[in-house]
Amino acid sequence: MHRAHSVSLLAVCSILIGCASHLPTMNSVQPVPRPDQIVSFDRLYGENCSACHGANGQDGPAIDLNNAVLQQLLDDATLHRVIRDGVPGTQMPAFGESAGGMLTDAQVDALVAGMRRRWASASLVHPVQMPPYTSTLTGNTARGQQLYQSDCRSCHSGRRQQVTDPTYLALVSEQALRTILIAGRPDLGHPGWLTVGGGRAITDQDVTDLVAYLVSLRVATPGQPYPEQSETGKTAPHTQEK
Amino acid sequence: MSRLKQIYSWLDHRLQLGKPLIEMAEHPIPNRTASWWYVFGSAAFTLLLLQIVTGILLALVYVPSAGEAWNSLNFLNHQLTLGWFLRAMHGWGSNFMVAVVLIHMAQVFLFGAYKYPREFTWTLGVFLLLMTLGMAFTGQVMRFDQDAYWGLGIGASIVSRVPWVGGSLVHMMLGGPIIAGATLSRFFTLHVFVIPGLMLVFTFLHVWMVLKLGINEWPMPGRVVRRSTYMAEYHELTTRDGLPFVPGGVWKDAVFSAAIIAAVAVCAVVFGPFGPSGQPDPTIIQTVPKPDFFFLWLYAVLSYLPPSLETPFLLIAPVLGIAALLGLPFYAAEGEKSWHRRPIAILVLTTVAVSFGVLTHLGTYTPWSPHMDAWSGGPSIPARFLHTASPLEREGAVVFQAKQCRNCHSIAGYGGQRGPALDDIATRMTKDQLIRQVLQGGGNMPAYGKNLSPSEVTALVSFLETLHPANEPAAADAAQAAATGPSGH
Amino acid sequence: MNIPSHPEENPMPQSHAPAEDRLTVSRRWLLLKIGIAFNAVVGLAITVPVLKYLFAAVKPDAAYKSWVSLGPIADFPVGETRLAKFTNPVRLSWDGETSGVACWVRRVAEREFQVFAINCAHLGCPVRWFPQSQLFMCPCHGGAYYADGSRASGPPERGLFTYDARIVGSTLQIDAGQMPTLSNTAKLVQLDGGHDRTKGDSPCRG
Repeated sequence: MHRAHSVSLLAVCSILIGCASHLPTMNSVQPVPRPDQIVSFDRLYGENCSACHGANGQDGPAIDLNNAVLQQLLDDATLHRVIRDGVPGTQMPAFGESAGGMLTDAQVDALVAGMRRRWASASLVHPVQMPPYTSTLTGNTARGQQLYQSDCRSCHSGRRQQVTDPTYLALVSEQALRTILIAGRPDLGHPGWLTVGGGRAITDQDVTDLVAYLVSLRVATPGQPYPEQSETGKTAPHTQEK
Repeated sequence: MSRLKQIYSWLDHRLQLGKPLIEMAEHPIPNRTASWWYVFGSAAFTLLLLQIVTGILLALVYVPSAGEAWNSLNFLNHQLTLGWFLRAMHGWGSNFMVAVVLIHMAQVFLFGAYKYPREFTWTLGVFLLLMTLGMAFTGQVMRFDQDAYWGLGIGASIVSRVPWVGGSLVHMMLGGPIIAGATLSRFFTLHVFVIPGLMLVFTFLHVWMVLKLGINEWPMPGRVVRRSTYMAEYHELTTRDGLPFVPGGVWKDAVFSAAIIAAVAVCAVVFGPFGPSGQPDPTIIQTVPKPDFFFLWLYAVLSYLPPSLETPFLLIAPVLGIAALLGLPFYAAEGEKSWHRRPIAILVLTTVAVSFGVLTHLGTYTPWSPHMDAWSGGPSIPARFLHTASPLEREGAVVFQAKQCRNCHSIAGYGGQRGPALDDIATRMTKDQLIRQVLQGGGNMPAYGKNLSPSEVTALVSFLETLHPANEPAAADAAQAAATGPSGH
Repeated sequence: MNIPSHPEENPMPQSHAPAEDRLTVSRRWLLLKIGIAFNAVVGLAITVPVLKYLFAAVKPDAAYKSWVSLGPIADFPVGETRLAKFTNPVRLSWDGETSGVACWVRRVAEREFQVFAINCAHLGCPVRWFPQSQLFMCPCHGGAYYADGSRASGPPERGLFTYDARIVGSTLQIDAGQMPTLSNTAKLVQLDGGHDRTKGDSPCRG
């Protein structure tokens, strides 16, 4: 009987110690900094970017930043502006304090610098000149359609590669289409401008025309959950074929 | 040797303490109470002394000013030699003290030690428990960081719910209109002067009564407490089967007290001090306030109460609870002490302990709170959901993140737990059900109809429809398939 | 264990001579009563100022509140909700950072503002605005509010607390000064759960 009590007493003590060991503990070596003083790239990226752009700039739902071509395509000012002000009309939010976000200019700079340090490659040279980030050319929809039929349809004919879906086109900006045409999504195995045209590098004009064609497929009332039955929305090409 | 005796005699002749102390040490206690179960009271007393000593040592450096307290804590942590150790000892000592006081109380309850003639010892003990918790809360305020600041905000919000005088009570509590300099000063006064002073008086009386009335005998089934006969029975027990308090019972107290202090020191060295977290600047809103360990259960209760019950519960439950504790020895002053004959007491103790454990456990990971950064930070949705997704579905995943869905819904174990995890949502809800839930909300989910464009909803739902295990198909609406089937083929 | 009696130790003087008859010393009892009464009078005289000192912080709300500027209205784009910070009008020099206050400013229209307290209506934790989902979320117990401050979900029993706001010249001012709680703001506009409150009964004067 006495032993039983000692055992239960021991149990009480171990519970006590067990509970204690779960308590929050151990402060860092330095005092906790103010949130607006944090300039560590890993911390900033991990708290603000990684959920969409992927833990290491790859394999996220949004475009991969860990892509030397993309890093080459965007200049510092553009990157800074996109992070600070977001891209209106898309899901990219504004992170800069001046636009209602939580990051200071110095923190946005730290993000830009960190991406360059990690994911840009100064030695990246292309055999053909890369199309610029923005173009001054005007797009030719008809030529874009031809290009799409000849170069893109081989991959983009299946249900799962349907980029002509008007709902998808309503959610992405022209710039996003252009950027992904040039930079590709290497993390998903999707080719960039050098190989996307059936092994042929595409030109600024090609990109502009293709974007113009895709934009022309947008409809007045996108987002129909059942495009097959919809009468108001323009039906997507793949359903017409069925 | 005789010189020492001389000095002793000279002193005692003036102090007059020797005789009562020796009487106290020699007073007989029931043989079986010299048990390891009776060590928690003395351990709580030892911890109180430890807290007083470490508290005084910290007060040598700590600055009780709203503008400087945080800096002085960081000075203690990072610059002053072994300042971190003293802070850790005081912090861990506080946790151990609350734990030991609670265990002591549970043991006293279990052993029926609150019965005649020890009712008032229990009453004072209840006040000592409340003061220990008061010290724990005011101590959290002394660690003047973001948790302390918003903890005060929670306290003020609770106080403000008192009818009629709520506003005045908030002003009294804060010492002004906002949580600021005056607030810290008055909590410092409570933590350093008022509550410790009262605690010392109450502790003295508590111990005095234990020594004068004798330690509770080991409860035996059938040995019933009666006011008329108890004193004689206890006297008979201690003379027939007793042993002197010193050293018979007290050596275990000494060993356990030393072990507890050692445990505090080990925790202090291994785990270090508590905080301080970020500076107490109320304009920093990137903060997730959380109370200290022994208030986590309350934090959990406050999140689970329905809104209509909250104010009545907050104002009435503590009164009832304290009244029940205070009234217990007067309601049950006589009768059986043994737990073998007190099933309801066992049931109450078990229920309270299990509730406390469960609520505290919930408080450690707060499943009711949105994870404020899950939408933008942390691991992304696993690649297996994205690599084979269509552009629209992948865009839907972006919508899922960008519209903060993940703050409340986890995928692949990351995200808030306010709403259900969505790893296999497609097996549970059809496309139409998903659309309805997103647009109209319901079941504690806000309605997103006004905040999402039709395209965003369609993309989001088409993404959600992909969330099912590979070997388990998504739920489908059979009626719709039948209605639209012929036209589709 | 007897203590050896020391030679020079004298027995303590025992009690005095048997107490005299109470009736014969009624004068002493009277003097004691006078002494107690005197203490009561002095005590009362001191208690009043001590209590006044102790309750000095308890004031009517109006004594703490005054109009505070949140800066030019141009800082707040129409249709957006932005964080604004100000220093509490009632402050002490040793308040440090704690005299700062944050609030959410929603510019509904060109000259129509809604200013929400940072404190959740549940238990006062700092709510955060998410423009993407148009929701305020509270990190403590999961309260959520729509853009107009009305309750969306969670434990709060009402919408966000609002400050009275006005436009003076080209600056936005709010009537602020104390921590908003149920006791001092519940009597203001009660934001009901109506989600469709486009214009609302916002207490703004513009």
